[in-house]
Amino acid sequence: MITFSRSQVIRAEFLDDNTVCFNGIQEDHIYSMEVQIEVRISDGEILTVKGDMKRYTNFVCPQAIPVLQTAVGLSLLEEGWDKKVMREIGRKGCEHFAEVIIECGRCLKKAILSKSLHDALAKDPALDQEKFLLKMSA
Amino acid sequence: MTLRFLRNKVVEVETRPDGNLAVSWRLTDDLQKAEVNIVFQPPQLEILEAEAKMDRFVPPDCQSASELIKNIEGVSIGSGLRKIVAGLVGGENGCSLLEEAVLESANAVILNFTRPGIEFGESVPDDDEKLKLFQEMVKSSPRLIRSCISFQDDSPIMKGLNL
Repeated sequence: MITFSRSQVIRAEFLDDNTVCFNGIQEDHIYSMEVQIEVRISDGEILTVKGDMKRYTNFVCPQAIPVLQTAVGLSLLEEGWDKKVMREIGRKGCEHFAEVIIECGRCLKKAILSKSLHDALAKDPALDQEKFLLKMSA
Repeated sequence: MTLRFLRNKVVEVETRPDGNLAVSWRLTDDLQKAEVNIVFQPPQLEILEAEAKMDRFVPPDCQSASELIKNIEGVSIGSGLRKIVAGLVGGENGCSLLEEAVLESANAVILNFTRPGIEFGESVPDDDEKLKLFQEMVKSSPRLIRSCISFQDDSPIMKGLNL
């Protein structure tokens, strides 16, 4: 029998050429969290954060919602950004909010790559995808 | 607006009849598909077996993931795990996806053991009793101290505990 399970779903919408909006959901047997962050693509800076704590373990947990705002201004491209999110959002707020933001952050480069491949395939359906991705991610 | 990227990630812990914990970690998104399976043996939570499979677009650093993952066999969940795993499968020339998978699998094992205590707390109707229960929990699990807002020094849960 499965005694613990966690699912994360991260989706990316490109609002304009320089802004991507991530929505991240984390659902497990104990916790349920959702965050939405807007990120400037050119420098990876988090522009806005929203969060919702749907299931948690104690009465203090919801006090972590305002702590999410400390993520605004942080760059998802700077060295050690994930550790900073865990320190500032996780330890001072909620570890599970931090986990979803980190997963959104990990998806930044992949989402840009995915969009580039999608756009390139629209122009050239016969494109060598593997070659394109290797070149773009180098 | 249609999406340009969608990632789904699942980690599951299955308690086997022999007491070992089988963890299945899976990721799929527009570009990648990865699966890591790890068996942990209580009480030390030693990794007995580990397997990895990557598909779709495999980053150059993860080409040898199925061999690299074998490095974590024999490692136990405990302090310093992050550094140990980084040294064995991650780091500059390692596979960061594999490193994430191992750490998230270990975290799922910890949460698997946390779940019964949380469920017991839910069955306690009295708020003061519930508070005492959380205080006992943090006393018996020092790793929780200052781990999040609930266990910071100024939290009502920590009041009077002097931890």
